Amino acid sequence: MQDTATDTELNTLINQIGLGDEAAMKRLYDLTSPRLYGLALRVVRKPEWAEDVVQEAYLTMWRTALDFRSALSPPLAWMGLIVRSRALDLLRRRAADRSHITQELDEFLQDTLEGPSPNPQDVQQASQQAQALHQCLSGLNQKQRQVVSLAYLRDLSHSELAQQLSLPLGTVKTWIRRGLDQLRHCMNRFA
Amino acid sequence: MNLQKHPDRLDTLAAHYALGSLRSGARRRFETLAREQPAVRLAAHDWQARLASMTELQPGIAPNPVVWTRLQNLIAADQSQKALVIQRARPALAPTGWWRNLLLWRGVSFIGTAVSVVAVLVGLNLNQQLQTLPRVSYVAVLADDHSAASMLVTFDPLQRKLTLQRVGGYQEASDKSLQLWALSPGKGPQSLGVLSHEKLLRLTVAEAQVNAVPTLAISLEPQGGVPSERGPTGPVLFKGTLIQKTL
Repeated sequence: MQDTATDTELNTLINQIGLGDEAAMKRLYDLTSPRLYGLALRVVRKPEWAEDVVQEAYLTMWRTALDFRSALSPPLAWMGLIVRSRALDLLRRRAADRSHITQELDEFLQDTLEGPSPNPQDVQQASQQAQALHQCLSGLNQKQRQVVSLAYLRDLSHSELAQQLSLPLGTVKTWIRRGLDQLRHCMNRFA
Repeated sequence: MNLQKHPDRLDTLAAHYALGSLRSGARRRFETLAREQPAVRLAAHDWQARLASMTELQPGIAPNPVVWTRLQNLIAADQSQKALVIQRARPALAPTGWWRNLLLWRGVSFIGTAVSVVAVLVGLNLNQQLQTLPRVSYVAVLADDHSAASMLVTFDPLQRKLTLQRVGGYQEASDKSLQLWALSPGKGPQSLGVLSHEKLLRLTVAEAQVNAVPTLAISLEPQGGVPSERGPTGPVLFKGTLIQKTL
């Protein structure tokens, strides 16, 4: 993203979209779609699924932009939640077709263990809250950071995480508990 | 348990709740507490907001440009849909006074348009009739086994419209359907369509399905009718000869 959008600019755009302004929609898309596509891809993993998720999410924003005023959250967080919920919907729809999970396990493991982290520029544009979270997540060891992030982003239970990561259930539980404890203490320092 | 007296425990539970790692029974118990105790609710909201910012921390990757194109089409479709709804809602909001009554002027303009359309169609029709004379159409009166007229059938080959009008008092049960068949010698019965429960019904059929058919019949079938190739399975209720008439 070469463009740096401020919250004020995004707020204005979302308000204009609420009034049916298509040009504002294009501008919002240009400013935010790489970030939201990155998020969608992280949750659903397949590019074509992530594209569907992004498309559905922006259509939701287009239709519900007027509700944003009452959402009380920063614009990127509001958009991020829409993408996450669309992505989880898609995963639930595909859950019946379980075969892909085993096929992609290797790919998935690699992605998970390498664990993409945001580049400094991306973090700069994030909200204060997100910057605090980023700083606190950076304090965790990599494994803990990965299970905590995946548990949230993909809405996975301990046993689903254990199954997908081929780890013993006890290990996953411990990593989550310790990771979240550390995250709590760090985040409470910002509060 | 009064969680307010155990702030660290409350914070832990709220964080696990927001992360999604609190499941089933524990999750429901926490939700019950949140409904009863504002401090619990507040802690849960705090953690939901904190973790929600995780969605901002993923590395950005530009999506395929085709995504925007598809989105643009969906938005355009949405816009025209909305415009249509607004247009439909507008007459109700029209100002009073007959001169300013949009509905009236719409009506007048509609009638005007309709008159012109009819005029053109009549012209075309006349033209067509002149070209295709003699125009052929078909009529049949289907009667029950007491010879009482029960169904009037007409077929307009130009429009390929078969019109059925119920003339008797017969009404099939709601779990049954009437099905219309063409009976031609040497061929098995051909289904022309299944009738709805309405008094007047139009079916679209090709002229080839109707010409050279001496008899039409209606049978009582399970709801929705039966496949044509199997022929009627229920009793034939009405039957009649199809008459070709020349205008």
